[in-house]
Amino acid sequence: MALAEHAAGMKLRQFLPRLSVGIWSLSGFTFLWVIGIVVPLLGILLFSFLQTKGIKVQWDLTIKAYEKLFFYGGGPLIGRTIRIAATMTVIELLLAFPFALWLAKGAKNQNLKLITFTLLTVPFFLSPVARVIVWRSVMSVHGLVNTALLDIGLVSEPVEWLIFSEFAVHLGYLGQYFPAMVWPIFLSVALIDDEYLEASKDLGASRLRTLVHVIFPLALPGIVAGIIFTFVPMLGDTVVPQQMGGGNVMMISHNVYTMIGASNFVMAAALSAIILAIMLAFQVLLWAALRPVGGLNNVFASLRR
Amino acid sequence: MTTKRTSKNLYFHLSRRHFIKGAAAGAMIVGAPAILKGLTRTAKGAEKGTVRMLMTAPTMIPGDWKTFEAETGLKMQETVMKDDTGLFLTEVQVNDAGDRFDIISTLAGVERPLIEGGNIIPIEHKNIPNWAGMPDSIKAVPYLTRELKPEGGSVWGTPLAMNADSFGYFPDKLGLPYPPEEVSWSLVFDDPKTMGKSATGTMFYYLEECAMYLKGSGKLQIGDPANMTPEEANKVADYMIERKKAGQFRSLHTTFDDQVQLIKNGEVLAIRCWEPAVKEAQKAGMKDFVYSNAKEGYMKWMHGCYIPAQVADRGNIEEVYKALNWILSGSYAAAISPLRGYVSGRPDLGAQYAKEKGLDAAAAAAIDEAQAKLGKKFAKDLFWFTGAPDHLAEIQAAADRFVNA
Repeated sequence: MALAEHAAGMKLRQFLPRLSVGIWSLSGFTFLWVIGIVVPLLGILLFSFLQTKGIKVQWDLTIKAYEKLFFYGGGPLIGRTIRIAATMTVIELLLAFPFALWLAKGAKNQNLKLITFTLLTVPFFLSPVARVIVWRSVMSVHGLVNTALLDIGLVSEPVEWLIFSEFAVHLGYLGQYFPAMVWPIFLSVALIDDEYLEASKDLGASRLRTLVHVIFPLALPGIVAGIIFTFVPMLGDTVVPQQMGGGNVMMISHNVYTMIGASNFVMAAALSAIILAIMLAFQVLLWAALRPVGGLNNVFASLRR
Repeated sequence: MTTKRTSKNLYFHLSRRHFIKGAAAGAMIVGAPAILKGLTRTAKGAEKGTVRMLMTAPTMIPGDWKTFEAETGLKMQETVMKDDTGLFLTEVQVNDAGDRFDIISTLAGVERPLIEGGNIIPIEHKNIPNWAGMPDSIKAVPYLTRELKPEGGSVWGTPLAMNADSFGYFPDKLGLPYPPEEVSWSLVFDDPKTMGKSATGTMFYYLEECAMYLKGSGKLQIGDPANMTPEEANKVADYMIERKKAGQFRSLHTTFDDQVQLIKNGEVLAIRCWEPAVKEAQKAGMKDFVYSNAKEGYMKWMHGCYIPAQVADRGNIEEVYKALNWILSGSYAAAISPLRGYVSGRPDLGAQYAKEKGLDAAAAAAIDEAQAKLGKKFAKDLFWFTGAPDHLAEIQAAADRFVNA
């Protein structure tokens, strides 16, 4: 029995290429990455330069989809998407950095820390719609906030822009992407050795100086990761603009969705290609911004400590 | 002394031959599910006694399928996907939904490309006893019998349920009459009384409805609101953008839940919505919110049932016909009309069923009302919704232009 099993094992080993785990995982991952990510992206790019009739594709390269996109209001749509995503990324960073700093270095009570951690994970397991839809009851004309404002006499008519407005979309993003910004910054700050901070203090540096010259450079990997994890998913978010904007503040993702619904795959591909271009431009900006501190490699090198 | 593995010596380990070997083995792993999919498809083909139905609206389900199961001896396994023409066509034509379903149902009109693509087969209505007694006005609905190739003049679908859609409004708050008095669609689009307090939706058919209003009120020359040219669609979009910028719309809804929320949260005084949304609001105690009888017309639609081509060789076509016959029975009519306000293919059998089974007065009234719709709302000229107009992509793009404005 054991011999038979051994023989079967031998056969299997002869059949499978004799490769080390590293090579297996590297080539396997590269293969999956090419098949699963690169090929579909190239497919989208190619598709955006074609024309279709129903589900039939006409194989003549053309830029008609891009021309139509701008005719059908694509310009303001793209501008609005970038503006809102960028604004919210900055706001999230300004709020998340002090919060992450407190969580990593300030909070001493373990129970409080644990509760905060748990609360920060909630958005990852609750459906995005469930998270956002609550706002609609809170912010509607007869909602909690308007009732309170009317009761205390601050306003005489319900405030209508609390929901279905750009303000509402910003608010919807705030809670949704806050953990995505906090987590990476928290991790990079938590890795900073307390002795560095003490050394800085001993050498006479003020708190602000320590923050700017010690903590900030060492937290940069987390900040970069936080910006990426916040800005990029916002570009593709369909829930917040729909639920909080109520159709008044549309962003790119909704249009991709409706265009697929109308079998307009070429225009959907063109819009998706534009999202890709925005992401690439964003990477270039990030690269340029990090050049003065030695580029991306150097930033992440600070994690080796 | 240990050797530190750097990217440089990793490069030596990873020769081209090794890489290709690994990639080939990786391909086997990735490809395995596709091979398995082929095997399971055949295996999943026939499960005797179970009919699997793909639907595009949860509101078509008659509460549950217990009566269906008791009366036919079959089991119903329904799957509901989003009511979205493009996604549905992709599911059937690209993802081979016919491999997994015995009946596919969607908005009548959407089936046209399925006939042309050979994805559905003609229906032998002789195998459906309840077909014969169907009112002539329903038999005349343009999407049941098609003069298309490959089999001209064939019956391609049977009715699931239909309705004449309009909008909901608060008569008392607006100082307007209750139905059956007719009120104008202007409440949704350009009445000063509903400024900033009306809503419509983001999909292309809301543009078609506006076209109906503009045509019906003589504000714009439109050929067929259900099948606009791109130029017509853009003119309607221009008008809607002008109304949007004037502040007419409180919100543009995207889902059924959206519609219900807008009504319940007091955000709107008039809203283009589905009749079930009005029923939901009324159930929540908003008795002063009603579904309109509209002056300019209705968006009349039908969800039809179709048989996928794959069923022909599956050996369960009798069961499929039995299920289609039940959908045209009094039981389905008596369930769907009180529940949703919809009209089935045989509302007369619904009334008969209500009498025989002694259903309560409210249910009986809802069934009578559904039957009466055929002579009133459905008798209006404008307009039967096709689901897939000839210039769908351009019309949706025009609708997107309005949404993005």
